[in-house]
Amino acid sequence: MTPEPDGFDAPALSHTRAFLAAGRGQDGDAAGTANDSAVSGLRPYLLTSGRAEPVDQSLEIESQVLTTDLGATAYGRLSFEYREIVRLCEDTVSVAEVAAKLGLHIGVARVLVADLAALGYLVVQRPTFPVNQDLNLIERVIRGLEAIH
Amino acid sequence: MDLKPSTEPLRRTRRPPVPVKIVIAGGFGVGKTTAVSAISEIPPLSTEAAITTVAARVDATGEVPAKMTTTVALDFGCITIDEALKLYLFGTPGQDRFGFMWHDLSQGALGALVIVDARRINDCYPAVDYFEKVRLPFVVAVNMFHGELRHELAELRWALAIDAGIPLVTFDARSKLSVRDALLAVLRHTRSRIEGA
Repeated sequence: MTPEPDGFDAPALSHTRAFLAAGRGQDGDAAGTANDSAVSGLRPYLLTSGRAEPVDQSLEIESQVLTTDLGATAYGRLSFEYREIVRLCEDTVSVAEVAAKLGLHIGVARVLVADLAALGYLVVQRPTFPVNQDLNLIERVIRGLEAIH
Repeated sequence: MDLKPSTEPLRRTRRPPVPVKIVIAGGFGVGKTTAVSAISEIPPLSTEAAITTVAARVDATGEVPAKMTTTVALDFGCITIDEALKLYLFGTPGQDRFGFMWHDLSQGALGALVIVDARRINDCYPAVDYFEKVRLPFVVAVNMFHGELRHELAELRWALAIDAGIPLVTFDARSKLSVRDALLAVLRHTRSRIEGA
């Protein structure tokens, strides 16, 4: 990822977006955030520092996200939006789950995940293409479903 | 502490599974979320996707003011196929004005399941049109809400105006095995399309 024009970089992470905490109460570690609907109209723009486009716009919502050791180590220095993601992704989840569980719009989740991945704090497994031409893979899914009883 | 991105090898060696997906489409209240719930290993989750400028423009011609932020719920669930492969099911509203989401969802999808309520079959037309257009293999599944079919499948096929090569099945969105079979119909259809290509 190329550096953001506004000078966004890793050391700035812990405070550039700290103002966001004000919109969501004092507890930056709050796990349950889905009910915070009062500011939801503004949040997509606040959370992405005015960027309307995801850093990696093509990041598929089924992409799998897992926190790295580096990300776990950096936890204490991250602003709470990033912290929540780093904590959630201790077990692998999809970008869609990040959005759903943290009460974020899909587009916002994409941006935040891409930010963290660019810093090496998350590892992202994207779908392989073209999956829909891959007979072996389709056979594997068929066998997996057939095993459901 | 070094806060910069590290090039050190990560101690964590496990890799996330590769995700694959099937799109679940159909009109409102047709049983998409029910179907996802029936088979998903996690309780179905719902998230919001902000409407894009394209969709906002569509809205501007309708009842929603152009500057109003509009969101649409996206329901999804997942099934672990094996330790390296995970299947996601994305349920998407089946209306024209939400068509912008279908591009994202269809991209790289293994196929689509179009759920139909036999009493309101026209609700599924936009989804059928879209998947035909982008050539995503799909199966039409009639949700047997009331346990019986009011029409013959042949009549329904005629009303849907779908190609004879497109599977038309009946299923019960509440039943795990029934949903499984409908998804298998999608995958087998995709497989036959690849083999026939």
